[in-house]
Amino acid sequence: MSAKWYLGTGVQNDVVISTSIHLVRNLSDFPFPHMLSLQDKLKVNTIIKNATDSLDNYNFNYLEMKTLSQYEVVSLAERHLVSPEFASSRDGRALLITEDEAVSVMLNEEDHIRFQVMYAAFSLDEAYRTANEIDNCLSDKLNFAFDDRIGYLTQDPTIIGTGMKASVVLHLPGLAAAMQIPKLISTVQKLGLTLRGSYGEGAAAKGDMFQLSNSITLGISEKAAIENLKSITLQIAAQERSAREEILKSNVTEDKIFRAYGTLKYARLLDTDEFMDLMSLVRLGAVKGIIKMDTAKIEGMMINMQPATISLSVDRPLDRNGRDALRAKRVREMLEM
Amino acid sequence: MLCQHCQKNEANMHMKRIINGSATEVHLCSDCARSLGYGDSFSGFGLGFSDLFRDLLGKGERTLSGNALRCSLCGKSFDDIVESGRVGCAECYSTFYDKLLPTLRKIHGKTTHQGKVPSAFENSHKTQQSKVEKLKADLKKAVEKEDFETAAKLRDEINYIVNGGAAK
Repeated sequence: MSAKWYLGTGVQNDVVISTSIHLVRNLSDFPFPHMLSLQDKLKVNTIIKNATDSLDNYNFNYLEMKTLSQYEVVSLAERHLVSPEFASSRDGRALLITEDEAVSVMLNEEDHIRFQVMYAAFSLDEAYRTANEIDNCLSDKLNFAFDDRIGYLTQDPTIIGTGMKASVVLHLPGLAAAMQIPKLISTVQKLGLTLRGSYGEGAAAKGDMFQLSNSITLGISEKAAIENLKSITLQIAAQERSAREEILKSNVTEDKIFRAYGTLKYARLLDTDEFMDLMSLVRLGAVKGIIKMDTAKIEGMMINMQPATISLSVDRPLDRNGRDALRAKRVREMLEM
Repeated sequence: MLCQHCQKNEANMHMKRIINGSATEVHLCSDCARSLGYGDSFSGFGLGFSDLFRDLLGKGERTLSGNALRCSLCGKSFDDIVESGRVGCAECYSTFYDKLLPTLRKIHGKTTHQGKVPSAFENSHKTQQSKVEKLKADLKKAVEKEDFETAAKLRDEINYIVNGGAAK
């Protein structure tokens, strides 16, 4: 099995965990998925799957969603490889995914094609280059729905135009401790961006993980949207660093970090919310050199310890207590390594 | 069915409104619907995106006519789009372009695509843009020369292309 995309590292990694580019495309000859019969959806899947065969550099696995269990589908959503909407109904939907999970293509979600390219750390240009290359190859084989005036046509009018959503996942424990998140959400909104919890929703984000993405797609080019996101990300990262300096002046934060590490190391039961909050503190400690731990390992743990994903790692069904016990065991093992 | 309000005319507008979680059905004739303000308010209290879209679309856009224009590819009428909060297909955007445009402006603040053009459209897109630029230059010259007859023709031609007709 090849290394997953999130095991990479890169620039701005103390604050920026990952980058993704999302592109939405539709075939011009078919109505949008919600208007298609099951048979037509399968036809659309086949057409798109055949078109991806020309992408020599990417080895896609093709998965029909109805062949997967509910756990498997929810786990894909937890790992941000498919949307929660995609996981909610499986009929007529399919997924194309690379071995390293860096590229995933949802077929017949709300649009015919929604694909994303994920990179570790702050890599907007690289991620866009890859997404654009895939888009060009697909565009040679498929007739995309496009209008000269309003761009790529999508079922969801909030993404019409470029059909592109560029995002970064940010770790903001400093700004969250300083109660700055609600203010930040309204500020970025005025700049054409959206900030929301990466795990969980809104200001109650778990593990202080937030996703920042462009909200405007019509009347702004891909390049301009990415540059805008880049500059705001760098400003937020700078603010986050000074907020961290501020909270680390007091030994209370240092104490919290070591207590979090101690709990993770010895706990026998860990539920998802507690685990995420503790990991947030540990990650802060790791990037500030307070405790020694590899950030790629932290990212991997955060992804693999989500409820459905952890349930999938064993053959027998788990209840909540069983899952929390297994999570605590896995975390102890990981921290011993 | 008779209009619930006047009890005289045939009800030709049927709506479901969801208020504080419970669905209410409203059956009105077009006159009453207009006088009660249903024609320009179509707000629900749902949280889903399609509710938001429907809300945006509904403001002053909902038509009350019975035999509405339908999309040639998916068969949806504009009322169907408002009702479901979802555009049926790519063709709907051409069929109902004028009606959808205000909504796109509300969402994005702008209505003209900037950025990538798929290779298949590249040539026509470029030709069209350069054609418009040339026409605009001609228009400017015509106005300077006070040749208003030519200017009016050029203006119409530009509008025709910009609003979706192909370059002649």
